[in-house]
Amino acid sequence: MIISAVILENITEFIGRFHPILVHLPIGVLLLAALFQLLSRKEKYQSLSSAVSIALFWGMISAIVSCISGYLLSNSGDYDGDLIFNHKWFGIAVANVSIFAYGLNRRNKDNIWVSGLMVLLIIITGHLGGSITHGSDYLFKAFSSNDKDAIKVKRVPIPDINQALAYNDVIRPILTAKCYKCHGPDKQKGKLRLDMPDLILKGGKGGLVIVGGKVDDSELIKRILLAKDNEDHMPPIEQSQLTKSELELLHWWVSSGADFNKKVNALVQTDKIKPILLALQSEEVKEELKISDVPSESVEIADQGSVKKIQGRGIALTAVAQNSNYLAANFVAVEALTEKDLQLLDPIAKQLIWLKLGDSQLNDKMLGSISDLYSLTRLSLERTAISDLGIVQLKNLGKLQYLNLIGTKVSLKGLEQLKGLNELKQIFLFQTLVQPSEVDQLKKLFPKAKIDLGGYKLQFLEGDTTELKDPKLK
Amino acid sequence: MKNEIRIQRLLKEAEHSALQQHTRRHFLKESAMGFGALALGSLLGSCGTQSSDASGSLFDASNPLAPRSPMFPGKAKSVIYLHMAGAPSQLELFSYKPELAKLDGQDCPQSLLEGKKFAFIRGVPKMLGPQAKFKQYGQSGLWLSDNLPHLSTVADDIAMLNAVTTDQFNHAPAQLLMQTGSARLGRPSIGSWVTYGMGSENKNLPGFVVLTSGGNNPDAGKSVWGSGFLPSVYQGVQCRGEGDPVLFIKDPDGMDRDLRKASIDAINKINHDQYEEYQDPEILSRIAQYEMAYKMQISVPEVMNINDEPAYIHEMYGTEPGKTSFANNILLARKLVEKGVRYIQLFDWGWDTHGNSASGSVDIGLVNKCRGVDKAITALILDLKQRGLLDETLIVWGAEFGRTPMQENREGKDMPYKGRDHHAGAFNMWMAGGGIKGGTSYGETDEIGYDIVSGKTEAFDIQATILNQLGFDHEKLTYESQGRPFRLTDVGGKVITDIIS
Repeated sequence: MIISAVILENITEFIGRFHPILVHLPIGVLLLAALFQLLSRKEKYQSLSSAVSIALFWGMISAIVSCISGYLLSNSGDYDGDLIFNHKWFGIAVANVSIFAYGLNRRNKDNIWVSGLMVLLIIITGHLGGSITHGSDYLFKAFSSNDKDAIKVKRVPIPDINQALAYNDVIRPILTAKCYKCHGPDKQKGKLRLDMPDLILKGGKGGLVIVGGKVDDSELIKRILLAKDNEDHMPPIEQSQLTKSELELLHWWVSSGADFNKKVNALVQTDKIKPILLALQSEEVKEELKISDVPSESVEIADQGSVKKIQGRGIALTAVAQNSNYLAANFVAVEALTEKDLQLLDPIAKQLIWLKLGDSQLNDKMLGSISDLYSLTRLSLERTAISDLGIVQLKNLGKLQYLNLIGTKVSLKGLEQLKGLNELKQIFLFQTLVQPSEVDQLKKLFPKAKIDLGGYKLQFLEGDTTELKDPKLK
Repeated sequence: MKNEIRIQRLLKEAEHSALQQHTRRHFLKESAMGFGALALGSLLGSCGTQSSDASGSLFDASNPLAPRSPMFPGKAKSVIYLHMAGAPSQLELFSYKPELAKLDGQDCPQSLLEGKKFAFIRGVPKMLGPQAKFKQYGQSGLWLSDNLPHLSTVADDIAMLNAVTTDQFNHAPAQLLMQTGSARLGRPSIGSWVTYGMGSENKNLPGFVVLTSGGNNPDAGKSVWGSGFLPSVYQGVQCRGEGDPVLFIKDPDGMDRDLRKASIDAINKINHDQYEEYQDPEILSRIAQYEMAYKMQISVPEVMNINDEPAYIHEMYGTEPGKTSFANNILLARKLVEKGVRYIQLFDWGWDTHGNSASGSVDIGLVNKCRGVDKAITALILDLKQRGLLDETLIVWGAEFGRTPMQENREGKDMPYKGRDHHAGAFNMWMAGGGIKGGTSYGETDEIGYDIVSGKTEAFDIQATILNQLGFDHEKLTYESQGRPFRLTDVGGKVITDIIS
C-alpha cells in the first residue's frame, strides 16, 4: 500500500509538471475563440462564427485540464503563498467562464461581454503564472535597474557589529538576497522555506538543512560548497552566487550553533571571521570591489581624439578592462620623454587611473605636468631624476593608492609634503634617501600604507656554489 | 633570360599562394549557385559562428601586437612561468610523506599497480622513501625539503598546489598539455593566447619571450611556445643567453642601419601590395614581424644584457654574465617584466631523475638541480617585491608531471642510483605574486603521494587561473579556427579560487 501511494504521488507530480506546457493551450485557443467571435460580427468574416464553437469547446477542455495539472503541481510542495492562491483561483475562474461561454454559444446566445471577461481573466492568470516561474519582479525589471553593472550588495551598515543580532542582522540579509526567491514566501523549491527560524529548522524534502554546530551535516552549507557544475549546487548556477564572505558568515553562524537570538559577541569569533564581521560596519562589502584600484563609480568615455593622439606618440594607453572607461598608460616604449608628452594626458585626467613613467627622462620640472591627474590610483616613477623638490607636485593626487619611487632621490622630507594622501596603501622606497629608522614616521604620515624599503638579502649557503659529487666516483 | 625565369617563378609562387587561400570552404561558399551548394552554403553560413563577444574583435591585423585591454581589470600584468622540464620529484621537494619513509624498500602493493601504466616501471617495484628532510616554514607552516633552503624563506609568498594531475606520462605530450592545453601538436601555447589577448605594452619588444637553460630545449620542442592556429606573430620569441640573444640580429658587415631600414621598407611595401590582393592576415603578421625585428635590433641586445646589473643583484641571483644559466634567465625575466613584456616562459632542462646516472638521481642530481634554481627563484620573488612589481607579476612554477613513490626498476632490474619513474597521478606546482594569496595551499594527496584525495587540479585549471589573474575569462578568450571557436582550456578549466587573494 505504501509503495503504491508513493508511486501515485510520483505520477501525480509527473502529470503536474505538464502544467507549464498545457497552460499555453487555453491561452491561445480561448483568445482565438474570442477573436473569432468579435470578427464574425462583421459580414466579411461571417463564416468564422462556426469556428467559435469548436474553439470554445477545446479551449474549455484545455482550461480544465490545465486547472487539474496545475493543482497537482501546486501539491508537489515547491510552491505556496499568495501568488499561487491567486493564480489558482483566477485559473479556475477562467475554466468556469469558458464553460459558461461555451454554454451560451450552444444556445446561440454569444455574449461579447462574457468573452471580454474571459480574456481579462486569462491575462491576469497568465501574468500571475509568469510571476511564479520567473519571479514577481520579472516583467518590470527592465525599468527598475538602469545600473546593471553596479555592485548589487549594498547593505545597510551595521553601527556596532558586536551588539548586532547574529541571525537577524547578519544572516537573514544574506538569505533574503540569495535564497528567498526560491525558498521563501512565493516558492518553496524542495519544500524548503528559509524566511522564518522555525521553517529553517524544519528543513525541506530531504530533511534537515541546518544542524547547529555541525557544518558537515548541514545540507545548506554542503550544497553551497558543491562545485558550480554540480547539479545540486546552490544557488543554481544561473542565479547570483554567494560571495566568499557571505559563505564564511553562514559557515561561522552554523558552526557556532546556528542560534537565532544571540548577539554576535555571544558567539565564538575566529580570526578568520573577525575582519569579515567588521566589514559589515561599513557601507560596502569590501570583497565586492575585488580590484580596489579601479573606482567603483563609472565614468564617461574619454575623448577619443586625445586617446588617439596619445597612442600615436607610442604611449601604451588602454582601458583597464574592456567594459571600463578607466585608462592605464605606460610610457615604457617612449624615447626622449618631454613635457609635451605628459601634457597630452590632461584631457583624460578624469579617466586615467594607472600611470607608469618608470625609467623615463622624467624630472622635477616635468612632474608639474602630472599634478592635475587627480584620478590616479597607481603611479610608478621608479628610477627617474625626481627628488624632494618635485614630489610636492603629487600632493593633490588624493586617490593615489600605489606609489613607486624606487631609485629616486626622494627622502622623508619630500614625502612629508604628501601628508594627506590618505588612500595610499603601498609605497615603494627601495634605493631612495629614506632611512630604515624613518619608517615609523612614514607610517604615521600614511596610516593605511605598507612601506617597503627593499634591500632584501639572501643568506649565503655553501650549496649555492658547490655540487654534490657521485660517491661512486672516487 | 635569368631575370625572366625568376619572374616566372615568382609569379608561380604567388599563384600557388593565391590558390592556397582558396580553401574548400571558400569554394563551397562561392559556388552557392548550384542546388547542393546552395543548401550547403546556408548550412555553412550557420557554421560561421559569429561570436558576438568581444574576443571576435581582438585581432587587429594591421597592428597585431597593439596593447589591448583584458576583459576585466586583472591583478597581474605579466607572467613568468618557470617550467622544470623533465619533471622534478615532488616527494623530495614539497610533498612531505612520512608514511612513505616507513615503506622504504618494501615491495609495492599490487593494489597500486593494477590498471596503471608506467613509462619504465615493470613488474613489482620497491617503494622509495623520501630522499630529503622536510620542515615547516613561514606562518603558513608550508612543508618544504632541505633541497630548497632559500625558497623556505619566502614560504608565505607562495600558494602551493598539492594535487596537480595530468593524463600524460611522457615528457613531450605532457609538456604540450601543460603549455598548450592539448597533448597533441597544433594548439597555441599559453603565452600566445596571452599576447593574442593583450598585445604588447612595449612596441619595441615581443610580448612573449622564451628563455631556456639546462643544455637542452624541452622534449616537446618549440611547439610548446608555438602559436598553433593563432597568427604566428603571437608565437614565443626564443632568446639565447650566450652570444647574440636572437640569431642574426646584428646587421651584417657592410650593411648600415639606414640601408637595413630601406630594405625592410621595400619588403613591407611589396608585402602590403600582396595583402591588398589576397587579404591573408598572415601577410600583415609578416610585416609586423619585420618591423619589430628592426626595432629589436636595438632594444633586445639592450634588455638582454645583464652586464650592467649592479653587483648586489648578481650576488642575490647568483648570476654570471656571459653564461647560459637558469639564474641568468631569471634575472632577464625580471628585466623583461620591467620593460612591459607580458609573458616570459622559462624552461630548465635536466630534471628527469630515473636513477640511471648520478645526475639523474633523486639524491644527487636532483639536489644539484635544486641548487641551480633555488637561490635565483627566491631572489626573483624578493627582487620583484622590493621593486613594487610582485603584485602585478604572476610567477608559476611547475613541470609536466611528478614522480612515483616507487623506485624505478627499468626492465624489471635494479637501477644503479636512486630514481623515480614518471608519475601523472599527483604532483606539485606553485604560484606567487600577481594577485595570488601567499601562504595558502590547495589540494591533498594520500599518505604516499600517489593519488589525489581532494582539490584535484588539472592543466586546464592552472591555465584558467593564469588567464583569470590577467583579467580574462578562459571560456571567452576564443579564436576561430577550422570553422569553430577554440579556447586554451578546451571544454575544461576552473579558476582555483582558493589561492586567489
